Amino acid sequence: MSEKRNQVSRRQFLNYTLTGVGGFMAAGMLAPMVRFAIDPVLQPQGKGEFTAVAQVDEITSEPQRVDWTIDQVDAWYESEVTKSAWVYKQEDGSIVALSPVCKHLGCVVAWAGNDDYPDQFFCPCHDGRYYKDGENVPGTPPNAALDRFQQRIEDGTLYLGKAIPREEA
Amino acid sequence: MQWTKTDINQYKEVTEYVDTLLVPLLPISFQMDSKIEKIVFQGELVKIFANELEKRFKGRILLTPVFTYLSDEEISQEAKRLNKWVDYAKENPFTHIFFLTFDSKWKKCEQELNGNLLWFPSIQSGDLQSDQIRALIKDQVNEVMDLIRSYW
Repeated sequence: MSEKRNQVSRRQFLNYTLTGVGGFMAAGMLAPMVRFAIDPVLQPQGKGEFTAVAQVDEITSEPQRVDWTIDQVDAWYESEVTKSAWVYKQEDGSIVALSPVCKHLGCVVAWAGNDDYPDQFFCPCHDGRYYKDGENVPGTPPNAALDRFQQRIEDGTLYLGKAIPREEA
Repeated sequence: MQWTKTDINQYKEVTEYVDTLLVPLLPISFQMDSKIEKIVFQGELVKIFANELEKRFKGRILLTPVFTYLSDEEISQEAKRLNKWVDYAKENPFTHIFFLTFDSKWKKCEQELNGNLLWFPSIQSGDLQSDQIRALIKDQVNEVMDLIRSYW
């Protein structure tokens, strides 16, 4: 008994206990702070998701319209939203996926939508036009090129992500 | 443009480009009889239709909130009320006014309206989420788009 009492004196015992309890309290206070500090890192990156839209070997050099649906969640609704893109293969085999949303006021443009311009994108609202690469035709209402979708190809399937505006050259 | 804060703010900047007003006409009833299902279904459909049109022609069409009326009400009275909407709307540079409806009663008083009535016979029932009905509606929307473009 006396040996044990020498190993841990009353003073030491109190020291250990206080340090231990104090440590727990400090950790309890710090943990949420650290959690807040690194919170952005822990956010799931759901918004950058890619969706399979087409098989690569079905894509031709002529722009085709592909549609797909995504779940869109805003503060009030969760809804299925249909997204579309115009996709075509370039001569070097790479794929271009253009957003169909007109950069003027947001209508939906169509490839060869006007018989007078069979090799351009045409916006039915105010006759805006875009070349095949998405660049706006000067002199028509749009003042920027069509957005491009982020893309990824896996196992012969084309996946598209978000539409990214281009820098105006 | 939708009837939302962001869209209206954009609209204010570009009123000269948005020359078309689209008003969905939507009957309501509170009599829980055999007709109610049809009326409610028409309502769902007309909203889907109007939204789809707005999506395609966002830059040129202003979509108003739906014009609601009691389905038992005298239609010529409602026509007057609707014309009043149009009179106010015309303070903005609208040159084309379209009314979108599936209610055939409007067809009879089309002449009294200060705008173009887009009335279509609609599907009467069905599952709006099903692929078949969706494709059907898309086809019909495309037809209506061509029709609207022919007015422009």
